[in-house]
Amino acid sequence: MSASNLRGLSPWSRRLIALGCLAWCLITVFPLYWVVVTAFKTPPGVVGGPTYIPFVDFAPTLQPFIDIYQGIRGAFFHTFLNSTMVGFSAALLATAIGAMAAYALVRFEFRVRLGAGLAFFALALGGYLAFNTYLGLTRPQALLSAFPLALAAAMIANRLPLPGPILGNEDILFWFVSQRMFPPIVTAFALYLLYSEIGRLGFQLIDSFLGLTLCYVAFSLPIVVWLMRDFFEALPIEVEEAAMVDNVPSWRIFLGIVVPMSMNGLIATFMITLAFVWNEFLFALFLTNSRWQTLPILVAGQNSQRGDEWWAISAAALVAIVPMMVMAALLSRMMRSGMLLGAIK
Amino acid sequence: MMRNDPIKHVFIWPAVLVVLAISIFPLIYSLTTSFLSYRLIPPMPPRVVWLGNYIQLLQEPRFWNAILTTTLIAVTAVGLQYVIGFAVALALNARIPGERLFRVAFLLPMLLAPVAVALVARMMFNPTMGPLNQLLGHFGLVNLPFLTNGRWALACIIAVEVWQWTPFVILMLLAGLQTLPEDIYEAAELENASNWQQFWGITFPMMLPISAAVVFIRLIESYKIMDTVFVMTGGGPGVDTETLTLFAYQEGFKKFNLGYTSALSFLFLIAITIIGVTYLALLRPHLEKRR
Repeated sequence: MSASNLRGLSPWSRRLIALGCLAWCLITVFPLYWVVVTAFKTPPGVVGGPTYIPFVDFAPTLQPFIDIYQGIRGAFFHTFLNSTMVGFSAALLATAIGAMAAYALVRFEFRVRLGAGLAFFALALGGYLAFNTYLGLTRPQALLSAFPLALAAAMIANRLPLPGPILGNEDILFWFVSQRMFPPIVTAFALYLLYSEIGRLGFQLIDSFLGLTLCYVAFSLPIVVWLMRDFFEALPIEVEEAAMVDNVPSWRIFLGIVVPMSMNGLIATFMITLAFVWNEFLFALFLTNSRWQTLPILVAGQNSQRGDEWWAISAAALVAIVPMMVMAALLSRMMRSGMLLGAIK
Repeated sequence: MMRNDPIKHVFIWPAVLVVLAISIFPLIYSLTTSFLSYRLIPPMPPRVVWLGNYIQLLQEPRFWNAILTTTLIAVTAVGLQYVIGFAVALALNARIPGERLFRVAFLLPMLLAPVAVALVARMMFNPTMGPLNQLLGHFGLVNLPFLTNGRWALACIIAVEVWQWTPFVILMLLAGLQTLPEDIYEAAELENASNWQQFWGITFPMMLPISAAVVFIRLIESYKIMDTVFVMTGGGPGVDTETLTLFAYQEGFKKFNLGYTSALSFLFLIAITIIGVTYLALLRPHLEKRR
């Protein structure tokens, strides 16, 4: 680490800068302190105007948490479990298949013809319209049958000497990352329609573990591929080359050498993905209603139901926030050891 | 060195398939729906209207209001995040006292659920019982209409965005600052360049690529803003703080106007693409000059 800038500063300006940082730190921390304190207040402690210090300003109580535990303000326990299960499954799955794809993009060469990609999109769209209009299939059925056809056709087209540019690994990576640019409302709304039509065919995806997790995996993959690619690129290739001389198959090189070597990166990526899924609101709003509701939805609901019952709102917010606070502490530890720098560079 | 081994397909296809399925399916689905007049309430059989939905949208003042509001929030919030974030990153990089403590605190907000943050913000901004009201009361400003006046509400939303996402900018810029080579600064010091000159002559230009990336990511993410607004104001008062995503949600999920909402989300996608491409095109000459 370099202390390059501001080296020539006088002690006084250093103090001034530290003071500025302290101010920003206060702005950052105060709302958090406020929500923690408010969660232990009694109703009179809230309505009587702002109070700040427990035991001095007001008598703390555990009542808001007891209410939550007893389920008076919504099924918190159940929802917490939902969030945990969906979060962990989605983050684990996304990290696993994302890391595999990232490794492939770093170590293997891929060539995709732009023509094949365009053919895929045109065939998927045309096939869907044709199946839907002429064969009278329902819309999900038409989509589901057009997809494999278009995919197969595109793979054949990729072998043909089509004119047009050939895309390499960088372009595939860009395609992955560019999926993050999509406004999620486009996907969320269409997925909601698609899921409900599939539901009418007898296979329920709305308000189900599978439907929500699948969608979160897809939406975390771009970040995972992006982060993990940088980790893998930083790995020394000599170890892998030595293993290759001994004719160790690629999947064993990956599982036995690459994964253990990049464990830190995998854990960090997993945690970032988990935080993203844990906090996600829009998809959960569209794709769940009661059984698989996640915490952000329940917490957002406290607002309208409860008016100004701040002690309850604070306790609810804390339930959603505290697990991520723990993660922030863990992450900042890893950051100090410098391991995240590689990913961000 | 690149290997070529058929097993590569096993590695890459799961991810490609999942992303393809979840992105291409809905894309085709909503693209085709956007050319239909299709409502669930009252139920009507779908009817092809071609560009009808799009034309109707472009003439709708509420749509333009949502675009304006979203742009205002995104541009102002990202601008503030960048300025504050750069300043704090520079300070942390200079190893000011207490730097370790700051690092943990600075990382926190961006990992918290925006919904919960918005709830906390509602308490902070409460016009009668909030701590901010008490603080401003000392300066004689009592009961300000934080969330009930359109302009104030916009400012509050921007403040919450800045609070939550400046840490991300700090994190990225700090990582960038730590990769800058030391020797250039030593040379600059020999030339007696002031700190101010060093910043504009060396630090800022060398940080331009990573700055461009950070601002780009934040800008695109900010355009998607929904949960903070949903909880803090619900788009109100009136439609003063309604963002694009919230507008689409109201149309699609409250009125079940499917064709219209699909057209709206497509216009949104086009707008985001235009913004992204323009941004990159504007920056390209600056970035290439440095290479």
